Amino acid sequence: MAGASMKDIKLRIRSVESTMQITKAMQLVASSKLRGARARMEASRPYMKVSRRAVWDIASHNTGAQSHYVVPREIKHRCYIVIAGDRGLAGSYNANMFKRIEWDSRDANCCVIPIGRKAREYYARKNVPIITEVEKVEGLSLDACCDIAQKVIDSYDAGEYDEIVLAYTSFVSVLTQKTKLKPLLPLDAHDAPEHTSKQMLCEPDADTLLKGFLPQYLGGLIYAAACDSFASEQAARRVAMDSATKNAGEMIEDLTLRYNRARQSSITQELTEIVAGAEH
Amino acid sequence: MALIHLTIVTPEGKFYEDDAQRVMVRTTGGDVAILPQHIDYAAALGAGEARVTEADGSVRLAEVDGGLIHVASDQVQVITNRFKWKAHQA
Repeated sequence: MAGASMKDIKLRIRSVESTMQITKAMQLVASSKLRGARARMEASRPYMKVSRRAVWDIASHNTGAQSHYVVPREIKHRCYIVIAGDRGLAGSYNANMFKRIEWDSRDANCCVIPIGRKAREYYARKNVPIITEVEKVEGLSLDACCDIAQKVIDSYDAGEYDEIVLAYTSFVSVLTQKTKLKPLLPLDAHDAPEHTSKQMLCEPDADTLLKGFLPQYLGGLIYAAACDSFASEQAARRVAMDSATKNAGEMIEDLTLRYNRARQSSITQELTEIVAGAEH
Repeated sequence: MALIHLTIVTPEGKFYEDDAQRVMVRTTGGDVAILPQHIDYAAALGAGEARVTEADGSVRLAEVDGGLIHVASDQVQVITNRFKWKAHQA
C-alpha cells in the first residue's frame, strides 16, 4: 500500500518536472522575442506622432466641404481589425481582446479582419463574417498592412461600413498591457491637434493628397499596432509562463515532502513488524 | 542663419531628426526644395531622390518612394514607407 503510493508520487513528480521544463523554455523564448518586439515598437512610435499631425492638417484644411473621412456617420455596420496572438498560453491576452470587442460591438452589425491565428480561429468558430485575414502577427510586413488599409478604405468609400475600428493591445510595461479600440475611419477626433495650420499650400489639392496618403497612414497605424500587440503578447506569455514555472516548483516541493513522509511511514511500519515478530 | 527642423520617419523607424539648411524632394508635381521660412505646405511624394543639406553644409542623398512632405512653421516632416540613405554621399 505504502509502496504503491510512493511510486505514484514519484511518477507525478516526474511529470510536473517535465511540464516545468516546457514552461521554463517558453518563458525564455518569450523574453528573447520580447526584446526584439520592444525595439520595433519603439521605432514605430515617432511615425504615429508625426503623421497624425500631418493628416489632420490636411484633413481640416478643406474647410468648404468636409471630407467624408472626417465626418462621422450613423453607425450601422462596423468593421473591426482585430490583432490577437498567434498562439495561446499567454495568460488572458487573447481572451481580454475578444471580450472587449464583444462588449463594444453589441450595438451594431459587425464583421472582422482578424490578424493572428487565435483571432481567426475564434471568429471562424463564432460565425462572425470575416472579410480578409492574416495568419501571423509575428513578422507582419508593412506592405501587408497597407493592403488591408486599402481594402478597408475602398469598402468605407463604397459605404459598406460606417466605422472602421482597430483593436489591439498596447504595451504599457512587462506586467501591464491594455486592450485598445482605435477608430481608423472616420479619423479619430481625439487625435486632432489643437492648432492646425490655417493657411496651407497643398499640392495637388487637399482632397487628392488625403486620399493618396490615407492608405499609407492607416497601413502605418496597423503596422504600429501590430508591433505593439506582438510585444504585449510576448510580455503576457513571459509573465504567465513565469508564474507557471513557479507553481510547478511549489508543486514539486509539496510532492517531495509527501514522498518522504510516505517513505518514512513505510520504514516505520516495517520496523514495527520486525520488532513485533521478535517479541514472540 | 535660419534653419529648418527636419524629421524623416517611416513606420519602421526614424531616419533623421535634426536641423538642416534645406531639403529637396521629388513631389508628384516635380522637385521641390524647402528652405527656412517656407509657407505651411503639404505635398505628395513620388519616387525619387531626396537631398538633405545639413546644418554644417554637408549633403546627404537618399531614395524615397511615395509618402508626404509636410511643412508647418519651419518644422519639416518627410513621412514615407520607403526610405533609404544612399551609401555614396556627394
